Formats: sequence, C-alpha cells, structure tokens
Amino acid sequence: MTLLPHGLGQRLAAIVGDRYTRLRPGELAVYGQDGLPAEPSPPGAVVLPGSREEVIAVVKLLHEAGVPWVARGAGTGLSGGAVASSDSVIIGLTRLTRILDLSVGSRRAVVEPGVVNARLSAYTIPHGLVYAPDPSSQTACTLGGNVAENAGGPHCLKYGVTTNHILALEVVLPDGSVVQLGSPSGDAWGPDLVGLFVGSEGMFGIATRITLRLVPVPEAVRTYLADFGSVRAASESVSAIVATGVIPAALEMMDQACVRAVEASIYAAGYPIDAAAVLIVELDGSREGVAADSDVVAPLLAAHGARQLRVADDPAERARLWQGRKKAFGAMGRIAPDLAVQDAVVPRSVLPDVLDRITVVGERHDLVVSNVFHAGDGNLHPNISFDRRDLRRTAQVHAALSEIMEACVAQGGSITGEHGVGADKRDYMPLVFNAASLDAMCRVRRVWDPLERANPGKVLPVNACREWRAGGVE
Amino acid sequence: MSGSEQLARQMDQALASCVHCGFCLPACPTYLATSDEADSPRGRIVLMRGLSAGTLSPDDAAVAQHLDACLGCRGCEPVCPSGVEYSKGLEAARAMLARRRGIPFVARMVLAVFRRKWLWRPIMAMTRMLRATGIPAQLAGSGRLGFMMGMVAASRESRVKSRELRVERQGKNSRLSTLNSQLFTGCVMQGLFSHVHDATRRALEQAGYNVQEVRGQGCCGALHLHAGDDEGARALARENLAAFRGTEGPIVVNSAGCGAMLKEYAHLVEDAEDFSARVRDISELVQPDPSQLSTLNSQLVAAYDAPCHLQHAQRIHAQPLAMLKSVPGLTLLVPPGSSQCCGSAGIYSLVEPGLSREVLAAKIAELAALEPRPDVVLTGNPGCLMQIGAGLRAAGLDIEVRHPIEMLD
Repeated sequence: MTLLPHGLGQRLAAIVGDRYTRLRPGELAVYGQDGLPAEPSPPGAVVLPGSREEVIAVVKLLHEAGVPWVARGAGTGLSGGAVASSDSVIIGLTRLTRILDLSVGSRRAVVEPGVVNARLSAYTIPHGLVYAPDPSSQTACTLGGNVAENAGGPHCLKYGVTTNHILALEVVLPDGSVVQLGSPSGDAWGPDLVGLFVGSEGMFGIATRITLRLVPVPEAVRTYLADFGSVRAASESVSAIVATGVIPAALEMMDQACVRAVEASIYAAGYPIDAAAVLIVELDGSREGVAADSDVVAPLLAAHGARQLRVADDPAERARLWQGRKKAFGAMGRIAPDLAVQDAVVPRSVLPDVLDRITVVGERHDLVVSNVFHAGDGNLHPNISFDRRDLRRTAQVHAALSEIMEACVAQGGSITGEHGVGADKRDYMPLVFNAASLDAMCRVRRVWDPLERANPGKVLPVNACREWRAGGVE
Repeated sequence: MSGSEQLARQMDQALASCVHCGFCLPACPTYLATSDEADSPRGRIVLMRGLSAGTLSPDDAAVAQHLDACLGCRGCEPVCPSGVEYSKGLEAARAMLARRRGIPFVARMVLAVFRRKWLWRPIMAMTRMLRATGIPAQLAGSGRLGFMMGMVAASRESRVKSRELRVERQGKNSRLSTLNSQLFTGCVMQGLFSHVHDATRRALEQAGYNVQEVRGQGCCGALHLHAGDDEGARALARENLAAFRGTEGPIVVNSAGCGAMLKEYAHLVEDAEDFSARVRDISELVQPDPSQLSTLNSQLVAAYDAPCHLQHAQRIHAQPLAMLKSVPGLTLLVPPGSSQCCGSAGIYSLVEPGLSREVLAAKIAELAALEPRPDVVLTGNPGCLMQIGAGLRAAGLDIEVRHPIEMLD
C-alpha cells in the first residue's frame, strides 16, 4: 500500500515517462529486497531516470513534495541499504550506463553511476588498464553502488578499496542542487569531500558522474590454491604470509561447507571437497617480483600444512579459480533457501581464534555456518544458511549472528568491512560507537541532507539523531 | 483448484534455491533493454513467488506484464550459482496466468494453427508461394509489415549456394549406412526450411547414418508450453511419442527450440524418458572430415550466433563451433554477444513486438560493428534465423543468415 502524496506518481511519470515509473504492487514487490535476504519492504514507487537531468528533476520534485527517497543500483548490496519503505520512492540508476570518458594517459575514466563494475574493466583492459576494486558481485553490481558502499573485493588487499580509486564526483544533493567534489587530477585542496561521500550509503546524495582511477594490468600474475586439513592451519598461514612483508594481490579463504556448495554449482573450480579450508593466494606485479614473492609464499604454505598447492599461471585456469570464489555467495542457495551474511573485520592476528569461536557458536545453535572471506585483511563473511519459514530457526540465526558480531567486536574488530551498515547492521552501531560519535555522524549527515530524506532509517540507529538532539547532546 | 496448487508447488520447488544474489541480472536480455528489475530473472522470481504464495494476484496487470515480457531464453540458468530452475517456474506461472485470464488473442490463434497439421501445412505452403514471388524480399523493412516480410524472405535458401555444390556432395556418400536415425521435422522447419532438412539428411548420411522418415510427427509443442498452454503441449508431445514408437537410434533435431523441448518431454508426459534420451542436436552427431568438405565456403566470413535453446537449455556450445571449424577456409567469428537472445523466442516476436525489437537491436548493432564484416550469420534455430535475418534487412545490411549445417554442404 503506497503512502505517497496523491498525484506524485503522475508528476514522476511526467519527468521520466510512464514506462519508467513503477507504481503497481507487483512491480513494487520486486524492489522489496536487495541482495540481503530479509523481510520484503516494497517502496511506494520506483522511478528509473534516463539522464542526469532527469535525476535532478526527480530529486527536486521529491524535495518539494517532502517525500523521502532511496537511490538504488543493481540491488546486489548485502546490508539492506537499497530498500525503501512504502512512504518512500526508489530512484533506480540502472539506466545511466554510459562510460563517458577514458583517458589512457592519465589512467582515469568518467562513468555514470549505472555502469556495471566488470563492464568498466572489460572496456579498459584492451588499453592495458583495469579498475582494481572487484566485489564478488562485480558482474552485476554498479559503480554508483560501489561508491555508496565503499565496496571492497578480493584484490583490495593490495590495491585498496573503492575510496582509494575515486578521484572526483558530481553529486546531486537531496535538495536537487548539484555539486562537484574533488578534482579530476586527484589532488584537490580543502577538506576531502570525495572521501566523505564514498561510503555514505546513499545518505548524502546521488553521484551522477564518477571519475575513477585505473591501474595498469600487472605484467605477471600467479595464483595458488592451497588446501588444508584444518581451518586453524589455513588461518595461521594467512597471518604468516602477511608477516613476511609480501603483500599478495588477494588472499582469500573458503571453508568446507562453502567449497562443497561451489563445487556442486556450474562454477565448480576443482577445489578439493575433503579439505577443511582452501586458500586462494594471488601474487602479481613484475615478472621478477612475482617470482621472488613465490619463493617466499609457496614454501611457507607448505610449512603451515598445505596438503596440496595448485598453481594457476594461465588466465583460463585462474579465471576458473576466481569464478568459484566470486560466485560462492550465490551458490549458498544449494544449502538452504535463505542466507544471513556477516561482514565483520578482525585483526589478522586473532583470525584463528575468532574462526574457532564462530564454529562454537554455530554448533551450539545447531546451524550451518559457512565461511568465505577476505582473509588477508581479516574481513570475515560467515554465512548462515536457513529457511525463514522455520520461525524457531530464524530466531536462532539472529541470536547466533549477534553472538558472532559481539565476539568479533570483543577481539578488537568492527561490524562491517565492505557491505555497509545499511538496515542490517544499524543496530550494531552502538557496539562500536558511543553516543557522541553517533551524534557526530548525525551532524555530518545533516550538513548534506538537513531534512534527512535520503535513505532514511539506514546506518544510524533508529531515532538516534532525534533522541540525542532532544537529550541536549548538541 | 488442485491444478493451481500443483502449479504453485512446481513454482516453489523450481525457485526454492534463489538467494536473491542478482548475478542473473546481466544475463537477461530484457533487463538489459529496460534496466528495470521487474524485467529481470530475479524480479520475475519475486513475482512468481508472490503468485504461488498468494501475496500477488494473477489479476495484477503488472505481474502479467513482466512475466509475459520474459523471452524464456534461459540465459539466467547457466549463470545461476544456486541452480535455480527458472524455466520450470516460468512454465508453471504462465500456465497459472493462462488459466486465470486466458491466453492473449494473437497467441491463441498462432497456437491453434500449430496444434493442427491440416492448418499449418497449407499456411506454410502459401508462405512458400509468397516467398517464391520475391515480393517479401522487396517489401522487407523495419515497419511491422516490412519486418514480417523480412522474416519470410530470410527463410529462403541461400543465394550463394549453388546446385552443383549439392551434386558434388551427393557423390561422396560412400560409407555404408548401418546406423538408423530419424529426423524430427517439426512445423516451421518443415514448412519453410526444408532445405535445412535436406542438408541435415546429407550430413547424417555422410556421418554413416541411415535417415528414416517418420510419418505422423508434428509441431513439438514448445510454443504452446511457453505460452501457458500446457494441455496443448501435452497433446502434441503424445502425438510425437506415438509417431516415433517402434523406431530406434538417435532422433535428430536441427532446431534448437524443438530439441530442448523434446529432451524435456519427460517432465511433461509419462513414458517419455526413452524418447527424450534419444534426442540429439545435429551438431552432437556430426563431426565432419575437412578433406571431405567442399572448399566453396572458404571465402566466407561467418559470425556464429548461439541459439538460446541450444546454449542455455541444452548446454551445447562447443559442438557446433567444432563442426564449423572443420569447414575449410571458413573465417569464424564468435562475438561476445553471441549467446545473448535475439528476441525471437518462439511467438514472442509476435506478441511482444516492441521489446522483441529492442532486444534484437543490440544483436544487430553488434553484428554490424564486427571486423571483419561477416558475409553470413550462422544460427541453428528457425525463429533466430528469421528474426536476425529480418533485423539485418531492416538495418539495410547485406548479411545472409544460414543454418550451420548448411555450411557442410
């Protein structure tokens, strides 16, 4: 049931056209979730503007009408961030798919927010350049969404996350005005507003033009697949590799439950299904550098109990190893119809202990927990498979999720590495931030969006801003 | 009532493993055309789940619109990490919609024709006569009539191919034919592409098969099943099962859509397992010896277009390419969008002409931009041949369409 002002649908349609204005229950249901399996929350309307001018006009109209809105890309996010309630409008940016400029010499590209991550690299690779941040959903997710969530990915261990690759932004603010942030050459003066915007999870506005940094395709790449008889041995070798000073391009871990789901899928990569855990270690750089790093890493993996070490030097074999890893999340449907995903980050030194703890929590609640994560930067993704129609189990899942999160925080970790806070982890925020810190975030938000109409109810705990204001914290 | 419960159960089972990851979005031609998640596989799964759970009504025009707009190309199935059986869910959803609101008029007419040989045969004969006049080739264009004329014109046997070629080829049938096979002739293939059937028979004989003619066979019923007329599809399946009873050896199909359907008869009717297990696409059986092939195709640059129901539904991709690579001197291009649907999709191009043409536009643009410029587009499905052929003509491109098996002549 839509709770939007009367006639708003027609006024939106007057901007973007009937074909791109969605108001009927079936169409709204489709936008009721993103990649996070959660209770559906259909928006009041969906608009799909076809140009930056239409985005501006839509935001202005909603501002004047006093209607909250949520920007959405491909809806592959895993924190419930791109979902709206029935009094809000979803602004879908999937039609803005142009790559506006590629400057090979200065290694940068300008794109619209709806460009799919993997499409950009496919476009630039023939020119010897690649966009480094590679979320596992990169074949589907949009760069606008990557900017909003400050997305990570396996190769961010060496190359840095999204924020390290965004040079400048054109942003439509929640009142419909347009600002330019940063400078195309990447050396802007003054406060780092680009850095502030990246990872703001849709609360600060809509990026309509994104200037990004590209990196050269490495001269050499070598990918190892190592399998271990215990999760502890695998995680200890992760710490050992990092301690040597070698920075792998990627350092990923999958446990047995995850490996088995992938091996049952079309993306089967030949991971050994009897291993307790597998590591994917990728080295890249100059030929000499990769050879030297290999001489360090390969013996170290063996010394830590790797049962087998498979090497992929050719692109096809490497692609197969990576496809398995990157589609692992999607393969979880083979275990059970619903999936809860965590995204905690812990110091690498405590990885073995935290993984043990997660196993204990899973066993105590009798739940299937599978781990697939960016081991190199301590970014965990414990996945719990369940069937939400079983209400008792669902309650257990939520209890287990809280316990896992508390365990991570207790070990000096944080609640999200790359998926964002969104709706899913909003209530964990007080675990890591005190009231004064949360209040500071509220104030920053109100600088961009004084009326708090952009992606309301996400990231900052419900009513937090109002309560703190009333409580005189200001 | 139990019927709709059964359909709901079929939907639930087929779609149960979807975790909403969205990895299917870039594989969906209609999502790429509209950028609307309601036109994506994941979005349609939400609609279907709503139908089966009763939270969405089959009377919601939006539900029908977006399920109708699915091409049924199954491009989402091979990319799904969780192995969601999308097309089985869609069949059930469409049957449920058809029971509630009936099948749209145009679709009903087409389906009624292909249910009855005495109707489609004369219509095909008249179409052939029209085609022979050369008028369709003259009228081919981008308007609604022009496009249909383009489709008819595209079904004509290649101009490039000459009679002596076939004569030369027939003399080479030296091997003893000891293995039996039967050609599934279908409806449109029989009516408009009998020259492809002839080429298929020659290729089979060359491969050492004896090709038996099977009387009483007809349309495979895929058009009916995909439009929600599951009863019509079952009736046709039973007719075909009866026609092939008592035969042995591979049942050879040169139409990807029919092949996919025949291989899945077992899901539709009883006692079809043995039949389905015998069905083979022609490219699965023929591995030609290059030294036996004519060099008359050697000057050609060909672009391969993978029919959805070959690549996604039957998961056959390497075989037709291997077959074509054996053609002496043929330059074979496989553009990145080769496995992307052309928008034909059975009767889709008739009932959803707008979106069908939008999907086709991406295909034509890619073919037009290919370097080197192809002389011919090769694709193993009648709908694709006519759709791409008409699209090329509408765009004013002098590129022919042919069935891959014709390259072995």
